[in-house]
Amino acid sequence: MKAVRSLLDKLYTVPQLARFKPVIGAADAILYGTNETTHAAPHVVDNIDIKRYMSLVIVALLPAVAAAFFLFGWRVIAIIMVSYMAGGAVEVIFAIIRKHDIHEGFLITGLIFPLVLPPTTPLWVVAVGVVFGTMFGKEMFGGTGRNIFNPALVGRLFITIAFPAIMTMNWQTPFASGPEAITTATPLTTFKSTAQTSTINPSVVEAGTEQVLFTNAGAVKKATQNPQSEFAGVQVYCMGDAAYEKAAHHRRIEEGKASRLVSYGDLLIGKEPGSMGETCRLAILAGGLLLIGLRVSNWRIPVSYMTTVFIFAAVGSHFLPAKIAPPMFQVLAGGLLFGAMFMATDPITSPFTKAGKYIFGISCGVLTVLIRSFSGYVEGVMFSIVIMNAFTPLIDQMVLMFKYRPVKA
Amino acid sequence: MNISSQLWLAAVTCFAAIFTNNILLMYFLGLCPFTSVSREVKTAFGLGVAVVFVMTCTAMLNWLAFRYILAPLNLEFFRFIMFIIIIAAFVQFVEMVIDRYSPKLYHALGIFLPLITVNCAILGASLFMVIRDYTFIVTVGYGFGSGIGWLLAILAMAGIRQRLAHARIPRGLDGPGITLIIAGLMALAFIGFTGVLG
Repeated sequence: MKAVRSLLDKLYTVPQLARFKPVIGAADAILYGTNETTHAAPHVVDNIDIKRYMSLVIVALLPAVAAAFFLFGWRVIAIIMVSYMAGGAVEVIFAIIRKHDIHEGFLITGLIFPLVLPPTTPLWVVAVGVVFGTMFGKEMFGGTGRNIFNPALVGRLFITIAFPAIMTMNWQTPFASGPEAITTATPLTTFKSTAQTSTINPSVVEAGTEQVLFTNAGAVKKATQNPQSEFAGVQVYCMGDAAYEKAAHHRRIEEGKASRLVSYGDLLIGKEPGSMGETCRLAILAGGLLLIGLRVSNWRIPVSYMTTVFIFAAVGSHFLPAKIAPPMFQVLAGGLLFGAMFMATDPITSPFTKAGKYIFGISCGVLTVLIRSFSGYVEGVMFSIVIMNAFTPLIDQMVLMFKYRPVKA
Repeated sequence: MNISSQLWLAAVTCFAAIFTNNILLMYFLGLCPFTSVSREVKTAFGLGVAVVFVMTCTAMLNWLAFRYILAPLNLEFFRFIMFIIIIAAFVQFVEMVIDRYSPKLYHALGIFLPLITVNCAILGASLFMVIRDYTFIVTVGYGFGSGIGWLLAILAMAGIRQRLAHARIPRGLDGPGITLIIAGLMALAFIGFTGVLG
């Protein structure tokens, strides 16, 4: 250990390496830690520095990473490594040219970014996205703590719009590999592309049609007991006891029909296709609640965000069941949980005032359901968060203006 | 079409003009005042409100001029000159009225009111209204919505730029450079509205 220490101390004094001081400093900080406290934004109202703050977020992300690895295999690790290497290169180049320290913020961006990608994303697309996100989402604004938009989401947005076929057409079924594991539909896509009815009506269900039906266990029971009803090729999202669904599922499989019963429980543990980190909702909940419990992230944004989605979807699906999916499905499908827990709560790009946090969360919720239901895009979480990122400084200034109005004499 | 369905259509067009077809973030019209007057929220708000007012009124006036003067005479090609003259005259007129009756507001708006004459978003809204064949009521909704959309965009930008005042932005990008990058990122996010009531 002493040898490394003295080597690092020597490196600091070599004049030829003066340009690379940020790199040496980062190596020093990683190997030995520092006794420095926070001297750049975001300032935190606690005696922890940004490093500990950021490392807690990484710890909270680990369950989602582990779940992604478990569900989708080694490719997850490759994508994360590409993301760290390509994004890290941008960070190092900017640090050297602009002579600032290498910020720890990148460790989070580099890990969150791969988690919001489909598991089938080609590695070069991962590199393009993370380079764009780090460069235009963060470094252009002066680095960590100064960015207006969430860098990971900026990168994701860019590659979604630049390579729509790659980013929306190929999804991998969890626990499977090979060509047959590739599917074109996430639960949200299925909902958008097929006709829906709000309850299972045995006479309506036609064999071979792809329908998304929302119901509870009782209705499924009734439907499966009806000998006339066919579940072949019908996708059913239902909320109910898992054991019963399993039984119903097996019965149809035994009869040689490709039926698929998907319960909300399946969504919760991540058995449905989706982006790498967003499918296993239990892992996300564990990490997100850890962050909220440790007061690293604030509960106001995720709670107001998800409550708004739930209420808006409940009202909307009552009046427009063919357009707006039911509330439980909206909350559990897609990237809502991940976005609300890890991206909307980013202390730099979300409002710092309490009222501002509620405004941010509620607006995100409304925009998410709006975009999911009516736009050409299937998922609205990333769009809504980036749109609200743009309005964050304005929200804060408005709240401060109304709250601390100068007293009229 | 009856009145209520016209009103409904106008409301839908207004919503679409604010979000889906945001005149600034989707068509990139009115960029010059957007980059130059977005340093402070207060002045950006003043300009934005003036744009909303002028855009709504000139869209209405231009609709009447196009429908009852240019179209009967088969002079549709003349609309560019006609529209810009009407916009300039209207802005001048409004300026004089405000100066006469509310000098305080006149000074608050200052240079922004005459500047609006050359704001291409105003002319753009009038031209879009002709191309898309809107009726009068829908035109009112469209003009108002476009103005509100522009106001929202410039307010967000002004908020961001106030916050960036002390950021370490690369020297070459300070000012219009970073403004255009932010506008690009905002436009990227607004693509999410594609298809909503559009």
